[in-house]
Order: sequence, then C-alpha cells, then structure tokens
Amino acid sequence: MAIKCGVFKTTYEGDEAIWQTKVSRFWIALLIVSLIAFPFIFESSRYLLYVANSVLIAVIAAIGLNILTGFTGQISLGHGAFMGVGAYASGYFMTQLGMPFIACVVAAGCVTAMVGMIFGIPSLRLKGLYLAIATLAAQVILEFVFVRWRDVTGGSQGMMVPPAKIGGLSFNGDFKFYFLALAFTLLAVLIAKNIVRTKPGRAFMAIRDRYISAEIIGVPLFQYKLISFGISSFYAGVAGSLWAHYIGIITPEHFNVMVSIQYLSMIIIGGLGSIYGSIMGAIFMTLLPEGLRLLSGLFSKQYPFLVNIFGAIRESIFGLVIILFLIFEPDGLAARWKTIKNYWKLWPFSY
Amino acid sequence: MESIMQSLISGIVVGSIYALIALGFVLIYKSTAVINFAQGELLMFGAYLCLTLVVAFKVPFWIAFFTTLIAAALLGFLLERLFLRPMIGEPAISIIMLTIGLASFLQGMIHMTWGSETMVYPAIFPIEPLKFGGIVVSQVYLYSVFFAVLCLVLFNLFFRFSSSGIAMRAVANDQQAAQSMGISIKKIFAIAWAIAAVVAAVGGILIGNINGVNTSLSGFGLKVFPAVILGGLDSIPGAILGGFIIGLLEALSGIYLDPIFEGGSKEVVPFVVLVVVLMIKPYGLFGTEEIEKI
Amino acid sequence: MKRFLLVVLSVFLLSGVGFAQQTIKIGGIFDITGGTGDVGTPYAEAARDYLNYVNKQGGVNGKKIELIDTDYSYKIPQAVSAYKDQVSKGVIAILGWGTGDTEAMAPMVATDKMPYISASYSEHLVFDKTPYNFIGGTTYSDQARLALQWIKDTWKDKSRAPRVALIYNDSGFGRSPIQDAEDFAKKIGVEIVDKEIVGLRDLDATTQLLNMQKKNPDFAINQHTIMATATILKDAKKLGLKNKFIGLNWTFSEKLIEMAGDASEGFMAPMPFAFWTETKVPGVQFMHKVRKEVTGKSDAQPVNYTQGFIGAYLLVEALKKAGNNLTGENIKKVLESNKFDMMGLSADIAYKPELRKPNLSAKMYVIKGGKIEALTSFLKY
Repeated sequence: MAIKCGVFKTTYEGDEAIWQTKVSRFWIALLIVSLIAFPFIFESSRYLLYVANSVLIAVIAAIGLNILTGFTGQISLGHGAFMGVGAYASGYFMTQLGMPFIACVVAAGCVTAMVGMIFGIPSLRLKGLYLAIATLAAQVILEFVFVRWRDVTGGSQGMMVPPAKIGGLSFNGDFKFYFLALAFTLLAVLIAKNIVRTKPGRAFMAIRDRYISAEIIGVPLFQYKLISFGISSFYAGVAGSLWAHYIGIITPEHFNVMVSIQYLSMIIIGGLGSIYGSIMGAIFMTLLPEGLRLLSGLFSKQYPFLVNIFGAIRESIFGLVIILFLIFEPDGLAARWKTIKNYWKLWPFSY
Repeated sequence: MESIMQSLISGIVVGSIYALIALGFVLIYKSTAVINFAQGELLMFGAYLCLTLVVAFKVPFWIAFFTTLIAAALLGFLLERLFLRPMIGEPAISIIMLTIGLASFLQGMIHMTWGSETMVYPAIFPIEPLKFGGIVVSQVYLYSVFFAVLCLVLFNLFFRFSSSGIAMRAVANDQQAAQSMGISIKKIFAIAWAIAAVVAAVGGILIGNINGVNTSLSGFGLKVFPAVILGGLDSIPGAILGGFIIGLLEALSGIYLDPIFEGGSKEVVPFVVLVVVLMIKPYGLFGTEEIEKI
Repeated sequence: MKRFLLVVLSVFLLSGVGFAQQTIKIGGIFDITGGTGDVGTPYAEAARDYLNYVNKQGGVNGKKIELIDTDYSYKIPQAVSAYKDQVSKGVIAILGWGTGDTEAMAPMVATDKMPYISASYSEHLVFDKTPYNFIGGTTYSDQARLALQWIKDTWKDKSRAPRVALIYNDSGFGRSPIQDAEDFAKKIGVEIVDKEIVGLRDLDATTQLLNMQKKNPDFAINQHTIMATATILKDAKKLGLKNKFIGLNWTFSEKLIEMAGDASEGFMAPMPFAFWTETKVPGVQFMHKVRKEVTGKSDAQPVNYTQGFIGAYLLVEALKKAGNNLTGENIKKVLESNKFDMMGLSADIAYKPELRKPNLSAKMYVIKGGKIEALTSFLKY
C-alpha cells in the first residue's frame, strides 16, 4: 500500500485542522461512535456505566487543572474545592432559583471562575510552591465555607440536588446521564484544545517556561495568570456541577484535599501540558482504584485470611504504581503514547 | 486573664510539636528542593515502631527511643536510595508527586504491619502535670518544647558551620554547580532524608504519647504546611518559629473567634493568616528570596 | 486505553459468572483502613463471623449467604462505586457503615429499593425521605435525649435547672444530634449553656474547655470519637474541671480507658449496645459462642463487634421471615412489621414504616475502677 511521504496542505484551514489526515479523522470518528455505542452494549451493568460517568467528569476537571498547572505552570492544590463551588452553586441555582439546567451549569461555572480568580490573586506575588500552598489555603477556606454557610450549602448535612433536565428529558440514572456527560466532555475537550493552540495558550506556555521573558515580549503576566485561573476554575465548576446532578446529594466531604491531590496526580501521570494527557490521566486514576478493588475481591476469595489487610495492600499498590510511573515515565502517559505512535508510524523502519 | 494565659501556653506547647514536624519538611526542602508529602507517614512510622518496642518487646523507653531514631535514619536512607535517586534531575513537581505516591505506599505498608487499631503508649512521661502559678502544662509538652529548641540550635549550627550542612545548601541552590565542585549529590540527599526521618520520628513519638497511635496520624503532615510556608520553605529558624506561631494562632482563634463562629475556626485561621503574610512577604517570614535571572 | 478497559471488563465478567444460583448475596461496605478503621474492623469481623455461623447451620431457608464486601476507606466515591458494583452483582441487601456515605447514597438506595442497614445512627436516616435505610442502633439524637432525661431525673438540686454543655465535632456525624438535643432540653427544662467544637485530631482541647468552664456547666455531653474524647477527658482532668462528662456511643469503649487512663474515671454513656464482658446477657453469651465456633478464638472484642453482630443478626432474622420473597420491598415490609428480639445485645428492635427507629432506649454505663459497668437497665425518655 502506498504510504504518503508527507502531509501537504493547500488552505489555511487545512493547515490548522486538529486532525490532519484522513486516517486520523477516521479513527476519531470511530472513537466517537464507539463512545456513543458504549452504554448500549453495557446497559445492564450500572457499575460500568458509573465508572464511565466518573471518568467523563474527571476528564473535564483534569483538563481544567492541566490548563492551570500544566500549561501555565501554576501549581494548584485547590481544585477539589473549586469543584465543590461549582457543585453547590449549581444545586443552589436549581433548587432555590429554579433556573433551567444548562443555565445552572454555565452560571455555576462562571461563579467558580470568579472564585478561582479571587484565589488566583496571590499569584501576582507568589511563585512555585508558595503559590501551591496559597491554593491549599483556598481549599481549606472553601471547605470551611461549605460546612458553615448552612443556609446555602446545607452544611455537613449536605444538599440534595435534583437530576439534570433539558426540556422535558430528565437525565436521572446512569444510562441517560452518560450521554449528557459525553456531550459536555467532548465539548470541553474541543474548547480546551482550541484554547491552548491559540493566543491564550501560547501566552500561558510562555508564562510557564520563562515568565520574565514573557513579560518582556509583552505578555501581561497578571492578566493571563488570572485568565488561566478563571478558565481552570470554570472547568472545575462545570465538572462539579455535573457530579452534583449525577450523585443527587453532595456534602463537603466530596470535595476535600484528597480530591485535589487526586487531580494533581491525574495530570502529572497523564502528562503536564497536554490535553490528551489529561484524558489519559483521568482514565487511569479513575480506573486504578476500581481495578485494584476488583483484584482484591478476586484474591480474597482464594485467600480469605488476607481480607483485613487488603485495603492496606491496595493502598500500597496504589502508591507504588504512582511511584513506578514517575520513575519510569516521568513525562506521563501522553509522552509514552506519542512514542508508541511514532514507532508504528515508521515501522518497519526505526527512524 | 488566667484562662487566656493557659490557652496561650497550651498553644505554644502544641506549637512546639508542629515546629518539630515542620523542621522535617524544611530539612528535605533545604537540601533537595522537594516538598515531601510523605513526612506524615515517616512520623507514623516512628510512633508505631517505638510503641511496638516498648509494649511488645518490653524495651525501656529511652533505648526504644534511640533505636527508633536509628531505624528512622535507615528508613530515610532506604527511601532515598530506592525512590528518590532515580529522580535526580527531574522537575520538582514530578518529585513532589512521587512523594505523594510514597505517602500512599508507606501508609499501606504501615497499615499492613500494624493493623488499624488505635494503640496506646503506656505512661512514659509522668502524668502529673506541672503547675506554674495557675497554669497547668502536661510534662509531655515540656519535652517537646525542649526538643524543638534543641533541634533549632543544632540544625542551625549544622547548616551554618559544618561542611555537610554547607554542602546541602549548595546542592539545594544549584545541583549542577554543586556537582562540579565535587559534592556528592547522592550522599547529600541520603543524609537529608535520614535526618528528616529522624526528626519526624521524634515528633511522632511525642504525638503518640499524647494522643495514641493510629493510621490517621499522617494527617499531621498536611496540617503543618502553614507552619512550613509561614516561616519560609528553606529556613530552619523559620520552620520552628512557624510551628510556634501556628500553635499560638490556633489558641488565639480558639479564644476569640470560636465563640463568634461557633467553633472550628482553629483549622482555617492559620491558612488565612498565611495568605495575608505571604502577600506581604512572598517567601515566608525568613525564606530566602529567589533572585530570578533570564 | 480501550484495550485496558477490555481487559478490566473481561476479568469483571469472569468473576461475576461461576457462582451458584442458590445463594443469597449480601453486600458489605466497611471501613477497614480508613479514618474510622479502628472501630470499623471489628464491625466487619462480626458481620463476617455471624454470616459464616449462619451458613454453618445450613443457611437461611436452605440457602447459603454470600457476603460481597469491600473496604471503602471512608472515601465516599469509593463507597458509591462499591455500591453500584454490588448492585450489579445482585445483592439483595447491604450492611453499610459511615454517615457521610450512607446519607449520600440514601436517594440511590431508595430508587433501587435496596434495604440498607448502617452503622450510622443519624436521625436523618429514619424518616420517609430515606425509605430504605435502617439504622442498627438508637439514633444519636435519641441517645442525647436519653442522656438529658437521665440528667433531669437524677438532678437533686431543686433550686435550679441542670446546666449542660454540648461538645461535638464539626461534621455530619458530629452535628447530627445537636439541634435535637437543644430542642429536647428546652422541653424538659434542662439548660444548654454552651456548645464547643473539638476537631477529630486536635492535640489539645484546652481553649474549648476553658471557654466552656466560663459558662459553668454541670454536665458536658460529648458527640465524638474515642481519640478526641480521650484528649478532652485528659485535658479536663488537667484543668481540674468540675463537671461530669457523658458521651454518645462512639465515644465509649474499652479503648477509651486505655487511652485516657485515670481521666476516664466517671465517664458515662447511654450505650445502646452490650459489651463483650456482660456475660449475664444471653445475647453476649451467644456472641461468644459464635465467635468460638467460627474462628476458634475467644479473644475479647470491643463494643463495635457487638454493633456489627447486631446488624448481621437483624438482617438474617428478617431474611428468615421473608421466606422465599427476597425482594427489597418485601424485606422492608418484614423489617417494618415485626419485632426482633435481640437477646439483650440491644433493646428489642421494631421499626415502624413512617419512623424507622429501631428502639428508643439504651443503658447508662459508667467507667468505674478502670472497668465498664452498667449503671442502669434500659432507659426510656
């Protein structure tokens, strides 16, 4: 079969397309079709649908965090709390103000973006790990607000959130929700991809790589840092809002610091500064505990005396997997995937 | 008036424990430019090991104490050799993520070894609290204040005057330059981790004495972050002072803010104060300012 | 990535197949390694022990029971995924644990008509809003009411009302009984003078106790876990506070004596559950027997073991009565229309359809001479 020995474009649009060859467009179309078909195949297993939905929501939030940390270089430990802001805001808008669902999600995203930008103000003065701790402060402070502002959030009792509804169609249940989540996720990925390959994205990366030089060539640092916080928090807010309408009841415990750390793990393992990496990282980190639980369930049937320490073994393996990943794959899954792809592109030649 | 004094003194002595834990963080950061999220687990390890020696093997406390310190140092060496060595040269955030993974791993291992039951130290320190005027202080805390101050003095001298200490600071500043001066990075890292593990173990033993030992002890690691940052990530006096200040802040918010907020402000106030201080002094109270060059 | 999913899927499917139809599947969502693992582990052990015992006796109505349990480490998302997983595997009822996750899953449980017996005794789980939740013991609010009633009944000074302070922890679990306690106190004429929050991991409760001392309470009711309670008691002794302390069920166990030493002397609690050492109680003797038969050991178990035992025992009794109709609705009906004799392990359990409280009583226990003693028989309010 004749393989093209290059990619030639004759129009600007052609050059700027994300998927440039017919082959890659075919694969993407196939992926989307199989994503849509997925729930029909596994309709009976609510568990699998639940895992899939969790992955989709995680992808949205992970992309958000990657924009802030991977593309702009601002380490954030507050992502869990920002999701919480989105979740509570969306629930509040729907239950107290009776807004339609889509408006709730968008409004929740905007509210979270504003909160994110407020907590991004320290980035004017703080760098690196000091900024990270300031975002940890955001996490702690927001958690405190969630628990205390009982009139709005229901405090530790939690808030009941009705399921998503568009027109007359209510998205309750794992099956129906999947399509809603899929739509949002695809949209989120597309928008993010376009952000990072245009002017804001380049500004972000400039700030990350050499911010002094960026300032010299005219990138307004503070403005773009705030925009980055805003966009990242918007994504977190949307993800949080989707989660709220899915689970039906949210408490501050859903948005604690462990969640923030989990999202940070997702993007580091997936690959910083790569949308694709966020997706892979989200999938990996969501499936890992499930996979471990599956394994321990299987093993505990064979070796019942180990049941009590299986939780501990799971935790150790979880940590070990992360450690091994970082030692052997420090650039993340996305980089490894690229390497594999390149290998196959040129096979059987090696370069 | 007396109750305010009592609260403040309590705050300071609790702060001494925070100071010890904060010291561990700073030690590693000062030498390797890495924040070690696994510090809480190192703390737990010390607490559990000493407890087991005392209770199961009936070893007298002070012997158990020193044995635990040696074991902690060995653990520090081991961790550095196995997990941190391959990461030399990687960006800081990857190493931090590694320590997060390490934290999970150690948590699981400790859990496997010691189970999830809360274990209690037999009374090592005399239970009878000391009374100064109207103020009561548990004796445990006196020991912890003593240790905190001792560590402050020792480590300050170490980093200022000993060749290893200066070498560590050089490595933290610029790994490549230090290497070209003939400093062995591997040795420095190993020492740093060993010392941090030892300090964490001391903190763990003290906390274990006060509160009992179980797997939630590792939460202290995160709790102490404000102290570390407040003092400045790479300043030893900063860490110790930061610990005391956080202890005081908790006490003060307990006295003045809890009645307004109906309690619970102890957790939040240190962070709020932290952000305010950072806006004024972006590198913490005593941290060295990074001078950026193109 | 897709390949990975495929592998996971096939393993999952393979594991689900291969089990005989003649078993009753029960789900278990336990905390073994999480923040409450130290009390969650004996709970899970008891459930497993009792279900093993029942299987040894031939099962329920001829069918063996299969327990599909998971350790969710008190992480709510893991509890939710464990739940969905167990539902997919065909469980007909679930033994659960913590407040946060049980309350979070209550809507799901109701939609799925899955009877859910939990170790969270929050009063939010007994009303119509959560029709399929059954709690295994007297609610926290009722325990507080019992304590307040006992205070009122034993109060000798006619010139004034007793003054009570409430110490709790800032979480769903901690806040659960507070409002109800305040309302009840007002009703029976007990004065609530102060409320203090102590964190789960606080090393020091001095400021809160000093704040409390200013209001001069006679009693302090404590809704907390053992670790924090030990700190509170030790600090109270250090400061020489005069008031008596009463705790709710999670504050009170043999562990507390170990942790707080002398400071725990005189500490009381309205405990809905019997202790391993109360060998005169028929239920306790039964527990000893089960443990010995199933594991060959006679090791003393903490009171959390009793709690797990009660949950499993209740469920099995309900299943026996449900006969061959093991749908969620029928099990719920059985639980709500029968009185279950708990052999003294707790007061007898009788749920009502509109108000699924198991019972309204507990015994007041006290720590005397380093041991736990029952001070009263089952109290009422």
